[in-house]
Amino acid sequence: MVLLSAPRWLRSRLTDRFWRVQEVLKYARHFRGRKNRCYKLAIRSVQRAFVKSTKARRKKKRILRTLWITRIEAASLEHGLKYPAFISNLLKSQVELNRKMIADLAIYEPKTFKSLAALAQRRRQEGFLAALGDGKEPEGIFSRIVHHY
Amino acid sequence: VAKTSLTSPPWPEVKLPDPVEEAKYHAEVVRKVNAMIAAGQYGRLFAVVHFASKQWKVTSEDLIMMDNVLEAECGDRIRMEKVLLVGADDFTLIGRPLLGKDLVRVEATVIEKTESWPKINMRFWRRHNYQRKKIIVNPQTVLRINTIEIFPCLS
Repeated sequence: MVLLSAPRWLRSRLTDRFWRVQEVLKYARHFRGRKNRCYKLAIRSVQRAFVKSTKARRKKKRILRTLWITRIEAASLEHGLKYPAFISNLLKSQVELNRKMIADLAIYEPKTFKSLAALAQRRRQEGFLAALGDGKEPEGIFSRIVHHY
Repeated sequence: VAKTSLTSPPWPEVKLPDPVEEAKYHAEVVRKVNAMIAAGQYGRLFAVVHFASKQWKVTSEDLIMMDNVLEAECGDRIRMEKVLLVGADDFTLIGRPLLGKDLVRVEATVIEKTESWPKINMRFWRRHNYQRKKIIVNPQTVLRINTIEIFPCLS
């Protein structure tokens, strides 16, 4: 005799509800208020926390870069150079340190940073001299003085 | 000709030092630094190394962790070739952009190869019944920098 349908007193019951709830609450234990104890409030907070952490991982790179730039600006102003002048002249002298390294050097190796600032300053002056050129007037100008008749 | 706002450039006038004297001064400095390196009068050396697409400020006996896989077994010695800067207390050697391989030698050993802690990637749109959760585990490698050596081959 083959039984094709299960007898109606056999019901399927959820037996590991406790552990499913603990999986979510374990991420909420350090929260403030009832959302570290009550499941219904906790799932919402935990989901928002996960989403915020994923977005923050992308923003962290931007934030750290602006932090490094601020630090390099402060350190180069101590040596009498502004940040755009410093960075552009370092790149023109083919020194390819990134901002994180320059900020770390400015904090932990002040003498090295001073030499980098001097290098950038020297390259800046050479650039100014190169921009001035010979000092002669360009040809084709017949008079620099404006006559009012 | 009358002086206008454009006769002189907006930056203050600079005079560079005499090139011949400067060349002599540079040669003197290079000789002194070479002598210092040959005599070994430097304390702890630090180097800026470009490795795994990142730049690290490195000294001897310190640990570095990379977020990727290295094709070397645990305990292998590795020589790092892209050195951007080497410095000691009294002098620094700045590479343009890299320093020569006959000038610096940075050696490291692979210590462990593990995986990172499980990071959770979640996307959620409110009121749209949309959520996706993904657990990301990155392989990581830990290296210990053994030594940084410099040789007196400046010119």
